[in-house]
Amino acid sequence: MEQSAASNAKIEVRNLTKKFGDLLVLDRINFNIKKGELVAIVGPTGCGKTTFLNCMSKLTDTTDGDIFIDGVPADPVKHNLAFVFQEPTALPWRTVAQNVVYGMEVKGVPEKERAERLEYILNLVGLKDTADLYPNQVSASMMQRIAVARAFAVNPDLLLMDEPYGQLDVKLRFYLEDELVKLWQTLNSTVLFITHNIEEAVYVAERILVLTPKPTKVRAEVIVDLPRPRNFLDPRFVEIRRQVTELIRWW
Amino acid sequence: MAYQTVKARKSLKLRVLPWLSLTAVILIWQFCVSPPGVNDWRIPGVLLARPYDVLLLGIEKLTDVNPDGATLLVHAWVSLQESLSAFLLSLLVGIPLGLMMGWFGVVRGLFRPVFEMWRPIPPVAWIPLAIFWFGIGMEGKIFIIWLGGMTPCIINAYMGVKTTNPVHIQMARTFGASDWKIFTSICIPSALPMVFGALQIALGNCWTTLVAAELLASDQGLGYLITAGRSIGRTDIVVLGMISLGITGVIISQIIYRIEAKLLAGIRR
Ligand SMILES: Nc1ncnc2c1ncn2[C@@H]1O[C@H](COP(=O)(O)OP(=O)(O)OP(=O)(O)O)[C@@H](O)[C@H]1O
Ligand SMILES: [Mg+2]
Repeated sequence: MEQSAASNAKIEVRNLTKKFGDLLVLDRINFNIKKGELVAIVGPTGCGKTTFLNCMSKLTDTTDGDIFIDGVPADPVKHNLAFVFQEPTALPWRTVAQNVVYGMEVKGVPEKERAERLEYILNLVGLKDTADLYPNQVSASMMQRIAVARAFAVNPDLLLMDEPYGQLDVKLRFYLEDELVKLWQTLNSTVLFITHNIEEAVYVAERILVLTPKPTKVRAEVIVDLPRPRNFLDPRFVEIRRQVTELIRWW
Repeated sequence: MAYQTVKARKSLKLRVLPWLSLTAVILIWQFCVSPPGVNDWRIPGVLLARPYDVLLLGIEKLTDVNPDGATLLVHAWVSLQESLSAFLLSLLVGIPLGLMMGWFGVVRGLFRPVFEMWRPIPPVAWIPLAIFWFGIGMEGKIFIIWLGGMTPCIINAYMGVKTTNPVHIQMARTFGASDWKIFTSICIPSALPMVFGALQIALGNCWTTLVAAELLASDQGLGYLITAGRSIGRTDIVVLGMISLGITGVIISQIIYRIEAKLLAGIRR
């Protein structure tokens, strides 16, 4: 088996390249993520963010390069990955609780532990009261919380989130962003969060990777070393947001 | 509650209308056909029986085995047995086969060409072979009716799996779910509403095929009653057979409809 250059990174992306026929979408992308980090990726629409995540989770094959988790090529069967998609993915025939349990069920988490973790996570994301409802009976934000809870419930090595709050209104977004940060801090997960909303990236992430338009590379890396809870009006917050926006102007 | 289903309220007028039209049809029919032995401007009795005579015959046939060899209830019972067992068989075989064809490439590759070839052949075309293989007993008819019921089961189950939301499949994949796990936990539940939709269609197919099968080869059953009536020139027996088919058909399709509604409510969409 291919072994990566030893380092202390949890996730290493090496020369990740993806072509659709002749269309070069991802062009030799390189970066690392440390254990327990929350990294945001911002990039223009259609630059290949979703394609990138699909490569990470092996939903699509890569053309070249590889992704290593703990030094081993990433594999959803071996590794504990979880994915929150752009679209709602709650299964309509399962109740909220049954949906949250789904990931653990696939991973073969023992019955007893499953029940405990379910209880814990439902309380954490505030889905306790709606646990027995069906997805068509809850609101759009609840749907996304189901997906987030389902993902966190498997204690993933790496949680991939593809613009999870893109479709929601501003107020709900703020609320769910806070909730995400809380979950991440409580559960100590490693999270890769994709968005095209700069403010959102600065608000949640410890580090931001700015992508170029197609063919996509990592243009720059911005460290966000602000204390939490963060404040949108904090001058340093505004400064970092300006800095990222400036990088994006280059598009 | 905001999410309760809205119940359409039927007005009295809408309740009465179907009965009104049914009564009107029966009355007009009764009036337009000559009574036995009478020869006037109306439709002669050798071409069509009057509803009243059919009713009388029906009551008589509850106990009398003449002239066709069995009482009405025996005929109905034979037909029910044949069609329901064939119906169940087609669900048992068709639904799993369709579901598997929808998800597993190997199963699709194996069965699709055979299915495409077999589908345009009307079940009735199998009657001669069925007689060679099974004689004119119940097995042969069940075989033919089963063929008729299979098509909607296979197609609906197949389409149900095919129309599974791809994001649900991707979601399961990112958790590392196996193909089998995706099939059982994602594809089958998504396909269920369409599979239940097949129940009515399959039953309808079975019931029509039943008549065809019995018309050609049998000695009991409602379809046979019709043939028997024709061969001795009794229009009232023919019409009695037809009406019994209609009524029994409505009753079982209502039962299936109830079951279907229960099942659908159970999976709450
Ligand atoms: N299966 C495919 N076949 C061919 N081209 C594809 C395929 N999937 C994506 N692409 C192309 O790759 C590029 C990147 O698509 P992708 O969906 O990854 O962008 P994105 O950054 O996620 O966009 P958005 O911000 O709209 O979510 C697009 O130009 C798209 O046309
Ligand atoms: Mg996308």
